[in-house]
Amino acid sequence: MSEQTDTPSASPPPTEIGLRVRDLSLSYDNTTALKRINVEIPKHHVTAFIGPSGCGKSTLLRCFNRMNDLIEGVEINGTIELEGEDVYAADVDVAELRRRVGMVFQRPNPFPKSIYENVAYGLKIQGEASTASLDERVEWALRSAALWEEVRDRLDESALSLSGGQQQRLVIARAIAVQPSVLLLDEPASALDPISTLKIEELVHQLKSDYTIVIVTHNMQQAARVSDFTAFLNLGELVEYGETDTIFRYPKEKSTEDYITGRYG
Amino acid sequence: MQATPTTNLRRPNHWFDANEIWVWLNAGALALSVCTVAFILLLIAFNGLTHFWPQPLYEITYRDADDRSVTLIGQRVETDTLSRTQFTEAGGDASRLPENANQVERWLFKTGNRRLNPPDFRWVYRHDIITQAQPETLTSIERVEWGYAFGRIEALRFLSNETPGAPLSAVTGAELQPVLQSTLQRLNDTRDAIATLESGTIKQISSELQALRLQQRAMQLSASADATNRQAQLRAEEQILLQTYAEQETILSGLLSSLAGSELLVQIQNGQQHTIDLADTLRVSYPNRMGFVDKAVQFTSNIWRFLSEDPREANTEGGVFPAIFGTVLMVLLMSVVVTPIGVITAVYLHEYATRGPLIRVLRIAISNLAGVPSIVYGVFGLGFFVYFLGGNIDQLFYQAALPAPTFGTPGLFWASLTLALLTVPVVIVSTEEGLARIPMALREGSLALGATRAETLLQVVLPMASPAILTGVILAVARAAGEVAPLMLVGVVKLAPALPIDGEFPFLHLDRKFMHLGFHIYDVGFQSPNVEAARPLVYATALLLITIIVSLNLAAITLRHRLEQRYRSFE
Amino acid sequence: MSRHISEQYDLELGAIRDQLMEMGGLVEQQVQDAGAAYVTHDMSMAQEVRQRERRLNAMEIALDDQCVAIIARRQPAASDLRNVIGVMKAITDLERVGDEANRIAKMTLQILDQGIPAHQYGDLRGMHQSVIAMLNSALDAFARVNPEAAAEVIKADEAVDDAYDAIVARCTEDMSAQPEEIKHLLTTIWVARSFERIGDHAKNMCEYVIFQVQGRDVRHQSKSSL
Repeated sequence: MSEQTDTPSASPPPTEIGLRVRDLSLSYDNTTALKRINVEIPKHHVTAFIGPSGCGKSTLLRCFNRMNDLIEGVEINGTIELEGEDVYAADVDVAELRRRVGMVFQRPNPFPKSIYENVAYGLKIQGEASTASLDERVEWALRSAALWEEVRDRLDESALSLSGGQQQRLVIARAIAVQPSVLLLDEPASALDPISTLKIEELVHQLKSDYTIVIVTHNMQQAARVSDFTAFLNLGELVEYGETDTIFRYPKEKSTEDYITGRYG
Repeated sequence: MQATPTTNLRRPNHWFDANEIWVWLNAGALALSVCTVAFILLLIAFNGLTHFWPQPLYEITYRDADDRSVTLIGQRVETDTLSRTQFTEAGGDASRLPENANQVERWLFKTGNRRLNPPDFRWVYRHDIITQAQPETLTSIERVEWGYAFGRIEALRFLSNETPGAPLSAVTGAELQPVLQSTLQRLNDTRDAIATLESGTIKQISSELQALRLQQRAMQLSASADATNRQAQLRAEEQILLQTYAEQETILSGLLSSLAGSELLVQIQNGQQHTIDLADTLRVSYPNRMGFVDKAVQFTSNIWRFLSEDPREANTEGGVFPAIFGTVLMVLLMSVVVTPIGVITAVYLHEYATRGPLIRVLRIAISNLAGVPSIVYGVFGLGFFVYFLGGNIDQLFYQAALPAPTFGTPGLFWASLTLALLTVPVVIVSTEEGLARIPMALREGSLALGATRAETLLQVVLPMASPAILTGVILAVARAAGEVAPLMLVGVVKLAPALPIDGEFPFLHLDRKFMHLGFHIYDVGFQSPNVEAARPLVYATALLLITIIVSLNLAAITLRHRLEQRYRSFE
Repeated sequence: MSRHISEQYDLELGAIRDQLMEMGGLVEQQVQDAGAAYVTHDMSMAQEVRQRERRLNAMEIALDDQCVAIIARRQPAASDLRNVIGVMKAITDLERVGDEANRIAKMTLQILDQGIPAHQYGDLRGMHQSVIAMLNSALDAFARVNPEAAAEVIKADEAVDDAYDAIVARCTEDMSAQPEEIKHLLTTIWVARSFERIGDHAKNMCEYVIFQVQGRDVRHQSKSSL
């Protein structure tokens, strides 16, 4: 093992930083889930978190929009900076943070409302009332999520009538409708068929020019396909972080190599 | 490779191991339950509905105990068989029985004419009957008081107004029928006019008078500077009102007197002659002349009257409308109270409260509340709501009316609150189950869009929990509608003078006492002066109560089903 | 290397390496025989080499196919990917080596009517031996995935190149001295050229070994960086 494990940080990516994680540790009821994570997530790129189940990749992702606040008995140390501001500062408005850091979950979770209402939900929560501007934003979000052509004639139908892949794109549209700067994707395609998965991946490619995207996946090929940077986590530690091209061809750490080639760890 | 042991594919021979026996056992238990429920419903429906079907009138001659020949007109309401021993033990005269008869049949007749020859129900032994017939001329006369009269109408007499009792003219024979019906129609119209007048103008004036008096009372209590001026003003207003009242009274007495002036001469059993004031007569019918269609029409109108009319004669005759109204209104009020309380509590318990021993204890306590006997709730309602809360409300807001209590006495509001308390555990438990079924992912989806917990709750969670909430309300309604014991303490009465909703401000009178079907059943069945006469009404009211509960439930179930369809894919 | 979770995957990867070694053994045999046939003008041995060439081609196609199958079905990453890619490239090199051996055998048949020259192909024999040694070491380094041994082979290639230059120089000299021998000398240059190529292919295979292990491309780099 090289000195890499002792200071689990990686070479700073050669671009602007969207999210900066410093010495982040997290524990539930005295069980440590994340150990002193240091990572810098570049702006307007796709960063993938990979690692075996229970390695803390989803937990780390959920720190970015403070979704872990919902769980009782969580203790978080360290800082996460979103464009220079610490998201764990005492005076942070969590709702506003979550508006700026959108999230898409493992299983499509559209609300049992119409397609239109789903996309307009976040905007209405913010107090947007003008029908004209709502219409405009809904169409824009659905177009951005490559769903507009499929649903333009059935906006009033229930979102549950859509297929799984369409639902997931709807959820992405819902997330980008509020114009966040960061988009967190927590295993966004794990419940989808291969074609829908590819559509989501294509969408991620299209969206990265406007959003900082962080994707958690346990499909390594997917991480390889969609991401610019890849971080490998194991047992709550950041083992290796670097450009995806490098990680998937010449990983430096043996455990990374073992994980991505499918060997016993 | 190890050889796998071969298993015997044949079914086990032992009956206990065979599958079928368990299937049959379960199916049998289900069949038993279904049969029981069906039997109860059929029994109630049959007994309740036959009451409304016009029964033929019998004219029979029989030997009474003293060997006299007696003629009797009436409806056969029940048939019964006694064994010979039972018959002799009951003091029957065995010598009249045929030699080889081991069974004795007896018939129960409803003879009507309660005032003239009580009792109006009589058992007659089959073997004592000499003649029996169903002559078409027999008439059933329904009166405002004293129940039915059965007999033959001989004449319709119009009396002179000047000399009471002196007949002015008499109608008999073929003319009788049309004249009688038109007269009855006119009298019924007059009665309606009287009722409108009494419940409309006159009632309004008297309540205004009441209000004025309360204001005067309040004046006296406050004793302010301009009180004297105001007093005079009030007295003037009172005078005007009293004058109007007197005018209305005159109109009323005019109408009342126009009711009088006609009577029916009826021959009842044993050739007795009897006059019936037409003012007391509601309907005249000839059940033996009726065909099936006539009977069906009569049946429908009987049911309609049962549903729409006020009770008469200590609840043994007339309809149950005030009880239906009271039951439904009380249940609705209760739902309005119990739903928010139950839902808010459940939301707190499930969404906000930190999991811990205190919450666990609370949950157990809530579940146990559902098991507290309902009469205990009644006592609590009386002590806390009526005497404590109601008493204080009266002290604070209705001082002028004291010592007559306004809210310090059992009433609709307290009854609804008491039942809400009784049913709130059901709503809490059901709502909590509903909340638990909503996937965390949906809440997270909403939160991740920048919604607060409250917004998430209102916009996503509660709409999705609505089927479960409705289930709770359905259960609560079913329980509340059938409850009697606590209601007797907190607001239900045998006969309420007025409906809790009327045209008088504030339209919904939460302080009024009300009637309730469940209590009505109890009252008619056990507190009635004439148990035999009331028995069919017990069944009919029970049937009605079941129907109301079922339809309330059906409405809620339909709504729930529709909601479930909407949120189906998440369940 | 630790084993894969999928044992079948290990077996498949093992199979292509085994077959590559089998093919390598055959190619070694071809180079050995073709060289020997040329220097001894042994017609039957040259014929044999030409016969075996077909078998070699069939092996190449089969092995190539298996590698493609592994890529399609297993989507190997990192070292596994480099392993498969290394094998695929090695196949190509081995096949080329086979082609060179075949060419030598063909030229042997062309010069059968001429006598064995007085120098007895001494320098060519030496070159033949060092090329065979290089090929053998390369296959050995490949089989054991030994980058140090591979680096040695890469360095050894320089000697082969020098030997080639010497043979070309000698033959050019002889040509002017003995113009009637031109055809013979030209063929000898061609054969030496083939040996030189075989050495290059052996060197390539060694570069793949380094690529496999270290994940870096050492082709077209100065020797000192190895």
